[in-house]
Amino acid sequence: MEQNALLQLSHISKRYKTQLALKDISMTLRKGEILGFLGPSGAGKTTTIKIITGQLRPTSGEAKILGTDSSNMDASIYEKIGVVSDNSGIYEKMTVWQNLSCFAKIWRVSNARIEEVLRQVGMSDYKKQPAGKLSKGQKQRLVLARAVLHKPRILFLDEPTSGLDPSTAIAIHKMLLDLRQEGMAVFLTTHNMEEAEKLCDHVSLLYQGTIVEDGSPQEICLKYNKRKRYHLLLNGSSEEIVLEQTPENAVKISEWMQKDMIQRLHSCEPTLESVFLQVTGAPLVSL
Amino acid sequence: MESVTKLAAVARIKWICISRNTMIMLGPILTVALVYGCKLLYGQKTGGELSPPLMAMLLCLGISTNICGDGFVMVGTAIAEEKEKHTLRVLMTSSVTGWQYFIGSIALPFLLTNVVNVLVLFVSGISFEQVNLPAFLLVGAAASLISCVIGMIVGICAKNQMNANLIAYPFMMVFMMIPMFGNLSKTLQQISGFLFTGVMVEMTNCFANNTPYTIKPLDAAVLVGELAVSILAFLVLYKRNGYEKD
Ligand SMILES: Nc1ncnc2c1ncn2[C@@H]1O[C@H](COP(=O)(O)OP(=O)(O)OP(=O)(O)O)[C@@H](O)[C@H]1O
Ligand SMILES: [Mg+2]
Repeated sequence: MEQNALLQLSHISKRYKTQLALKDISMTLRKGEILGFLGPSGAGKTTTIKIITGQLRPTSGEAKILGTDSSNMDASIYEKIGVVSDNSGIYEKMTVWQNLSCFAKIWRVSNARIEEVLRQVGMSDYKKQPAGKLSKGQKQRLVLARAVLHKPRILFLDEPTSGLDPSTAIAIHKMLLDLRQEGMAVFLTTHNMEEAEKLCDHVSLLYQGTIVEDGSPQEICLKYNKRKRYHLLLNGSSEEIVLEQTPENAVKISEWMQKDMIQRLHSCEPTLESVFLQVTGAPLVSL
Repeated sequence: MESVTKLAAVARIKWICISRNTMIMLGPILTVALVYGCKLLYGQKTGGELSPPLMAMLLCLGISTNICGDGFVMVGTAIAEEKEKHTLRVLMTSSVTGWQYFIGSIALPFLLTNVVNVLVLFVSGISFEQVNLPAFLLVGAAASLISCVIGMIVGICAKNQMNANLIAYPFMMVFMMIPMFGNLSKTLQQISGFLFTGVMVEMTNCFANNTPYTIKPLDAAVLVGELAVSILAFLVLYKRNGYEKD
């Protein structure tokens, strides 16, 4: 295993009864890094997380987590990771505090630490509330608080913000960035490309069980920025025009600019979304 | 030491879940209420006086419903509830091991069924001169342990709480009905002798007839054997898919 690597997948594949859900997945997660697995529904994101966290056996290949093979993880490894799965449950009949204190006992974590994570996720005022009566966003924040209670070295998040309102999502993003600052590595799946662009140091685009592209979000976008184009809106017009980067167009634009005819001007480098579309021919969110 | 704290944490979680699940808690409460109700009913003609065999019958009814109706169901339904609410997965990825979950899950139901057994003993009103108390406690404890392990088997197979009740039902019929109707046919009586609940009923029959009761080697073998078989069955199922199949 490479130095600094907390997690290393090599040539993982997974076959369900009839279907090959993952084909030859390899990747590495290092300390203090946020890695995003970006892909449409059914790409195999949840399957990947389940394999890494020992909930599912790969059909072939090897996943090493903190130096141990994921198919024989023991308590000492689980004590060093935090998992938020796509349907992590909470004990609805317990209060918010009880939900955390149960796990604090398992991980031998102090009450002061419970207070601290509650503050971090903005749930201090709901301590005594039965968890079953929380809103969806509050439940998700509780799940997240529980996953980081024991200061894990790697945090796994399966679509942590899907279906949440923007302000909760932003609060969660901020928390993840803070945690990275403390040296935690985060493995995150999402089909939200803005989220990936904003948070991730490294993204892997997953499509039908294959990593079709990976690198930092910027690298990927620049790599596909072959045809530079500009969107313009001129005064008195309601129609946007698109111009490619050519010497003639440069002159044209500079003339308009001198005459102050331009209402709006955008460069349009590709986003992860458009890169994805270009690489796979399929949109990221396929509804 | 570490594993003891984890075990205690699981037991505490289970306790909160079970004690707040009305569907589960209704079982033990109804069991005691049933015995008390029957006692009042039978006692109406005689002004509250019951014959010793009748009291032994009430005792038998109480511990049978307790062991068969409460033990499996309590343990099985609690696990099914955790599957339904997706908390079992969370526990299993939080460094709780399979056997810690096993012990933590049966600890309190085991205690509770034993307490109900003793409560039923008192409520039935049977004279303590007729009862071999150490044997009663020992056989009761063995039976409730087996019942809890069968509950783990129910839990491992169940997908949700309804499903858990459905799976528990045949176990309940076999282990409760065969010994209860044992005196109706020779065959049933013979089968009953090989069931852990049969051993229990046999014991209360002795109390009723006021014959001294001792645990015979066959009884001990049945109890120990059935405990071993149920644990083995559990392990086979656990090895295959863990607590939850994907
Ligand atoms: N238990 C299973 N049995 C059979 N097939 C499965 C199972 N779990 C997942 N699959 C299939 O494997 C593929 C990948 O599923 P997975 O849940 O990993 O997708 P995902 O990327 O997490 O999607 P989403 O964004 O919708 O959560 C899907 O085509 C799915 O139908
Ligand atoms: Mg998923």
